[in-house]
Amino acid sequence: MDQELLMKQIVEQVMAAMKTGTSAPAAPAACCGDKVTAANYPLAESMADKIKTPTGKDFTSLSYEKVINGELTADDMRIAPETLEMQAQVAESVHREAFAGNLRRAAELIAVPDERLLEIYNALRPYRSTKEELLEIANELDGKYGAKTAATLVREAAEVYEKRGRLKKF
Amino acid sequence: MTFDENTLRSVIEEVLKEMGAGQSTPAAAPAASTIPAAGKLTVTEDGEARKGSAADEVVIGLAPAFGTKQTKTIVDLPHDKVLREIIAGIEEEGLKWRVIKVYRTSDVSFIAHDAAEYSGSGIGIGIQSKGTTVIHQKDLPPLSNLELFSQAPLIDLDTYRKIGKNAAKYAKGEAPTPVPTKNDQMARPTYQALSALLHIKETELVDNNKKPQAVSVSFQ
Amino acid sequence: MKSKRFEVLAARPVNQDGYVQEWPEVGLIAMNSPFDPKPSIKIENGVITELDGKTRAEFDMLDTFIADHAIRLENAEKAMAMDSLEIARMIVDINVSRKEVLDITLSLTPAKLTEVVGKLTIVEIMMGMTKMRARMMPANQCHVTNVRDNPVQIAADAAEAAVRGFAEMETTVAVARYAPFNAMALFVGAQTGRPGIMTQCALEEATELMLGMRGFTTYAETISVYGTEPVFMDGDDTPYSKAFLASCYASRGLKMRFTSGTGSEVQMGYAEGKSMLYLEARCLAVTKGAGVQGTQNGSVSCIGVPAGVPGGIRAVAAENLIAMLLDLESTTSNDQTFTHSDLRRVARTVPQLFSGTDYICSGYSATPNYDNMFAGSNWDAEDYDDWTIIQRDMKIDGGLQPVREEDVLKARNKAARALQGMFRELGLPEITDAEVEAATYANGSNDMPQRNVNEDLKAIEDMMARKVTGVDFVKALDRAGFPDVAHNVYNMLRQKVAGDYLHTASIFDKDFHVLSAVNVPNEYHGPMTGYQISEERWNELKNIPNAIRPEDI
Repeated sequence: MDQELLMKQIVEQVMAAMKTGTSAPAAPAACCGDKVTAANYPLAESMADKIKTPTGKDFTSLSYEKVINGELTADDMRIAPETLEMQAQVAESVHREAFAGNLRRAAELIAVPDERLLEIYNALRPYRSTKEELLEIANELDGKYGAKTAATLVREAAEVYEKRGRLKKF
Repeated sequence: MTFDENTLRSVIEEVLKEMGAGQSTPAAAPAASTIPAAGKLTVTEDGEARKGSAADEVVIGLAPAFGTKQTKTIVDLPHDKVLREIIAGIEEEGLKWRVIKVYRTSDVSFIAHDAAEYSGSGIGIGIQSKGTTVIHQKDLPPLSNLELFSQAPLIDLDTYRKIGKNAAKYAKGEAPTPVPTKNDQMARPTYQALSALLHIKETELVDNNKKPQAVSVSFQ
Repeated sequence: MKSKRFEVLAARPVNQDGYVQEWPEVGLIAMNSPFDPKPSIKIENGVITELDGKTRAEFDMLDTFIADHAIRLENAEKAMAMDSLEIARMIVDINVSRKEVLDITLSLTPAKLTEVVGKLTIVEIMMGMTKMRARMMPANQCHVTNVRDNPVQIAADAAEAAVRGFAEMETTVAVARYAPFNAMALFVGAQTGRPGIMTQCALEEATELMLGMRGFTTYAETISVYGTEPVFMDGDDTPYSKAFLASCYASRGLKMRFTSGTGSEVQMGYAEGKSMLYLEARCLAVTKGAGVQGTQNGSVSCIGVPAGVPGGIRAVAAENLIAMLLDLESTTSNDQTFTHSDLRRVARTVPQLFSGTDYICSGYSATPNYDNMFAGSNWDAEDYDDWTIIQRDMKIDGGLQPVREEDVLKARNKAARALQGMFRELGLPEITDAEVEAATYANGSNDMPQRNVNEDLKAIEDMMARKVTGVDFVKALDRAGFPDVAHNVYNMLRQKVAGDYLHTASIFDKDFHVLSAVNVPNEYHGPMTGYQISEERWNELKNIPNAIRPEDI
């Protein structure tokens, strides 16, 4: 790729978007009720100071040296729900509603531990679960993690699996 | 390698006939060629299979058409010889074997996984009629595997024996060196369309609600 | 008497390929099947009650998911009422913008999308691709595998592929338990060759997600969806489990796309008598409905099936176009071997290479074909010069550039040494100097010393039990004296915190600036618009080392 030229083009596009855009680029969105848009993208460059890790650290405070000296761990190198919400807003600003929906569902799942998330995924595979087991998972997602859209998806699945004979058989 | 037009034609005709769609094509199809063509293998089902508890057994899971509606692999290896080699491989390691027939799916990974679940050692082998084979372990996800031999046209009888041997070694808790994988990128252009037809034929025998059946195998 | 001409023709590579006649009743037909459903939609109180000729009571699982999630309702009845030919003409009309086309196509049913693209010739499909792909500039992806799962060779091949220009790299395994080593080697090799390359390891779905969570990979692609319900079940998933899985990836800041392709349903035995293209349109609707940013499609591993029937390769291009008409990142296969004929394999790639797609190959084999563990690719390492010279002939940017041998050897050697150091620091089985040396100069695994497979597999099991993560790679590389490679690995991990690369058709440049359909969208609307090859880039593309310079004579 011709990176320099591309960068020039991007910078120009972003500048143009900033000029015509309504939101003040200095303190954009998220915090103030305004929506984040494509003009704020990439967030790592335009809104770095608004991004935090799920462990509460500032994105701008992350550094190589802190990884080497052990101050940062794998748990710090993860995305936070608020960041995914901002990315969902970027997606909406370019008319990608379905994708934005996925990012919001994902934001809810950040709190679910890796092992449990893998278990739930496996439970959703065909012939793995009874209807009751699926509904229990939905309640867990909803009640324990506040994952409402993810819970809705699991409830939908429970209904459809029952109708189509894809619940646990043997 | 050239495409065997006659094989293809007979497969198409047979499938058409079975589908009841074959208003034409009464011709060729050397009719109920199934068992005679295999020669010596008889596969008899004895009702639902039981889950084993003997830690020294390996279960071999056959796809729905294996040894009955289809009698040789995609490269014409007779099913009786294939099964004999796998069994010989297991016996060489001093272990027991049991054969089941899986009907709920024609997917080789699931067949192997079912075999593993029914196996007292937790190790199973799944084999499709066209020859594709998987060694599986019951605690792995169904579409994962211990060893996968995805390119059926490249599996020869010697490899089937090694597959049996390695499965037995896993069952004994050993960590055998995986059977060397063969790779021939020209297998797909030559065989993929034929492979699809063979698989369609196998899949027609799938019965989603039928549990694995115990199978007694005899070679005459 | 036999004709000598026919004898010669019979011996040609093209006649070693398998072909079959169409057989629409079982779905052995590429597109335009008489048994495909007629497009239809009925919406009552904001719910789709009829889809492509089926009432809600007749819906299977896919219909239900598509009706509830995949179709933009606001405009749907109007868009569905339009003449398919008129929509087809809008796709090739440079005076109709990409956005105007999307406003219609995002509201179409699978049967309607199939009917629309069925009106296009292959050249019109290519015009559609040029306008409808998501990202402004095309890019390319490669496979880095080998038949022995040798990690040193993977690192070296990845580094070389990076120098050659690939933006993404994919590995997979001969032996499934080798996956963590393959993923690590690919990650380190890619970041040694060029910072910012995304890497993945194709595995069983849950295992693939686990490796991503632990920072061994930075994106995922082998998340397969299928066009009929029974095949979906044999793939061990449902549209719902796959949609959930999509969110799992995003929740860990990992980019992902789905995979599907014409021919998989008939290959797996349940095509339900529908054309391959119609079933693929259903896959793409499921992809859209799951909220996934993109797809790898173009028959992929089933390419032998459409390639065996009439019009099959046209259908493969048409399915890429449908992905673009759904505003999905389009990663256009051109990966798996489907023919013995060099002429056929070039012709198969012309639509995507000449039009440009988000990723032209997915992927191009960065090894000789005997080492390609996706059962061979349509393009391999031995075609590198063919590819770059075709770019030069046609003045197109296929994502690769000519390279100098000394640059490649330097990158291969460094990657092998970096992996050697990282293995040592992580307490993994030794990579010897002889292996580094062999990997530097190797063409394929035949040139590599064999490793102790059992020792490697035991070490992998132990490493996974120790919960080693990508962060440990950074530390180990730093300790091993490769801080620049360590920085690049760190920077890739850091991107997961910001999530910019989750967006449609993202890639990174060497400075970790994300380039996606958000900040560099495709805005082609006729000659001299959209992606134009700059002078600098053209100089890179055209300067092959073996061209005679007039001033030298």
